[in-house]
Amino acid sequence: MNEELIIGIDLGTTNSLVGVVDSGFPLVLADREGGRLTPSCVSWATSGEPLVGKEAFRSRMISPERTVSSIKRFIGRTFSDLTAQEREDAGFPLVAGRYDEILVAIDPETLATPEEISALILARLKKIAEEALEMPVSRAVITVPAYFNNTQREATKRAAGLAGLTVERIINEPTAAALAYGLDKLEESATVAVYDLGGGTFDLSILQMRDGFFEVISTAGDTRLGGDDLDRVIARHFAATLALGELSPGEEATLLARAREVKEALSIEDSVTARFPFFRGSASFELELSRPALEKLLTPVIERTRPIARRAFAEAASKGVAEVERLILVGGSTRIPLVREKLQEWFGLVPDISQHPDESIALGAAIQAGMLCGRVRQIILVDVTPLSLGIETFGGLMNVIIPRNSTIPVKAGELFTNAVDHQESMAIRVLQGERELAKDNWLLGEVTVPFTPGPKGSARVGVQFAIGLDGILEVLARDTVTGEDHVLEIRNAAIDVDDEAVERMVSESIDCAFDDMNERIWTEAKLKSEELLPAVGEALALVGHLVPADDLAGIEAATARVRSALESESHDSTALKSANAALDEATQTLAAILVEAAFSGLDS
Amino acid sequence: MTNYFALLGLPEALSLDPEVVETSWREKSRALADSSSGSEAPLDHPDLNQARSTLADPALRLAHWLALRAPDSPADRSIDPSLMDLFSAISPVLEKTDKLLASHRRATTALTRAMLTHEAIDVQLQIQELLQRIQPLRSSLTGQFDDLEKAGGEDDFQPATRALGQLKFLKRWEEQCRERLLSLIAC
Repeated sequence: MNEELIIGIDLGTTNSLVGVVDSGFPLVLADREGGRLTPSCVSWATSGEPLVGKEAFRSRMISPERTVSSIKRFIGRTFSDLTAQEREDAGFPLVAGRYDEILVAIDPETLATPEEISALILARLKKIAEEALEMPVSRAVITVPAYFNNTQREATKRAAGLAGLTVERIINEPTAAALAYGLDKLEESATVAVYDLGGGTFDLSILQMRDGFFEVISTAGDTRLGGDDLDRVIARHFAATLALGELSPGEEATLLARAREVKEALSIEDSVTARFPFFRGSASFELELSRPALEKLLTPVIERTRPIARRAFAEAASKGVAEVERLILVGGSTRIPLVREKLQEWFGLVPDISQHPDESIALGAAIQAGMLCGRVRQIILVDVTPLSLGIETFGGLMNVIIPRNSTIPVKAGELFTNAVDHQESMAIRVLQGERELAKDNWLLGEVTVPFTPGPKGSARVGVQFAIGLDGILEVLARDTVTGEDHVLEIRNAAIDVDDEAVERMVSESIDCAFDDMNERIWTEAKLKSEELLPAVGEALALVGHLVPADDLAGIEAATARVRSALESESHDSTALKSANAALDEATQTLAAILVEAAFSGLDS
Repeated sequence: MTNYFALLGLPEALSLDPEVVETSWREKSRALADSSSGSEAPLDHPDLNQARSTLADPALRLAHWLALRAPDSPADRSIDPSLMDLFSAISPVLEKTDKLLASHRRATTALTRAMLTHEAIDVQLQIQELLQRIQPLRSSLTGQFDDLEKAGGEDDFQPATRALGQLKFLKRWEEQCRERLLSLIAC
């Protein structure tokens, strides 16, 4: 029995949990202090072994640049994929490795990949489970955001391997939440939407539950949208209101921590005062924030979930599932009253808050683990792949082989032949995404299809693209002579360079990580100004007469501020960014009036 | 090649009720799940899923039926005159949509995105109109399924090949329209 045990893990952006099924019931395991949430934090604040979890979380104020949080945002991504803003928001230095992988650079001697950092968190969860269960554990089900791509899923799996865990299944977070929701309702038939807004990722999945089948109909998401973004908006508001100017890493960490506390408190209270004692030298600050003021700040971020959700709803409708009966909320950010109000307004459904926002995904992971080791029966889980899979064709287009929202496991074959005489092989670039041009999608890697040498068109190799239950791709080539399948390796397409060059690159990029950043941020900010300024003029020409005088004055002042920041010799990116943000905010009403005018044109 | 009709225990018929396909898929999946025990034999059945998605879709079903009955019949890639009007109407709309979506992706502020709303609504309506034109054309093709089967019974697969060619065009256009519509919804 002991050998058979599989644990369920929710590896979250902010917090992680571990659960198991006991006597048919899923439960979350507590650590020695009775805590069920382990902060997804790792810190090198002290010498020796890194701190993980609560201890690491506590050290983030003292040693913000040596404390890593929200590492999930970076797992399975490449360095060149990151925007300057993302690098700045990380709060700890990031550099590029030899394969364009992301390295967290605590100091030149301490470099760690997102996988290695995730592995430390997973190892902590493994230990919590072993202590709580009083037995060794080596097998796990791990949840990932539904919208995670192949590379992010594989990286998560590798992280588990580093932590000494064999991954028995990767499952999607909203699907896990649906399992937790539906376990005691197996006799019911229902169509539900799971709205999962966590610390760093957002997913919306629509499922049909019928006769013990839990079938995902459609899923959509954003792997870079969550509570972190809400905290950042609040922290920026603090910095702007208190006119703090440039912030040190420690000050930024303090602002973010207060922002999170204020956000959480305002889910219950109507008004709170954020205090910053001895914030800068002996200077202390305080600032009152009301719930309406907070909601005004959060609205643009929460609004970003709407089109994504609408997309999933529209896609389910096109598959014949038009009516969603229940809207289940999970993820810590769904505690925010504004989220619940908005959802009701958008979808006309009273949100179902019966699930524990922090724990239901871990419970679902535990249920899936229970299903795999035979502790839970009756349920059949049917999930889909969130992104279309394809290959690059001549001319740089993406040819879809497996469309998104296909039921997994799924496989699809393509036949390849030699285009010239005696061609030995052919390289295929494998992509994931919905865009027409290959370069706009994620490049998963390259596979080489071997040919038996012969005249042009004589070789015939059937290549099978198979997405398994983990949502992970396997590419197989079938030898037409022997009929045997063999797995083709999906190689990273980045160019290999020698070790010395890598070391040099890494150390150079650590040295200039911050210089380089200022110029990059300036360029990004300048682009944004150049986008906004002409739009303001055009929009005012169109609907200016409909805008209240107060707003007009605000827009004028904010426009002037952007212009003067743009003209500054010093390229002060902080000033330009905050001027842009102010103009962005000042034009929200104008934007809303434009949208309304566009829709009212429909009626006339 | 796997015979998906046989896999789901269904007759090799071109006209199939999607509900029948669904029920059969569920029964087979349930049976497979019950016979597998835990992680030793995971519920891994891509063929079953493939059978379901193929047989539930008229164009894919016809293609599969043809591949089983007349694997060597050459594909018909000509566009029937009845589809020509639609074809020439679709490309400009798709092109316009792509331009709009590209501008939308470049827009990083609420204001610049709002500037595009008017046009977005306009193209959404145009796409919906196109989708409405696709429906009857497809129905008229699937309405011929019984005749195609009869002809196939007499070893004449030419009408089926022709219908498949047209259905494939419609399917592709419908997918392109739906994809653009979804992207516009997510604007």
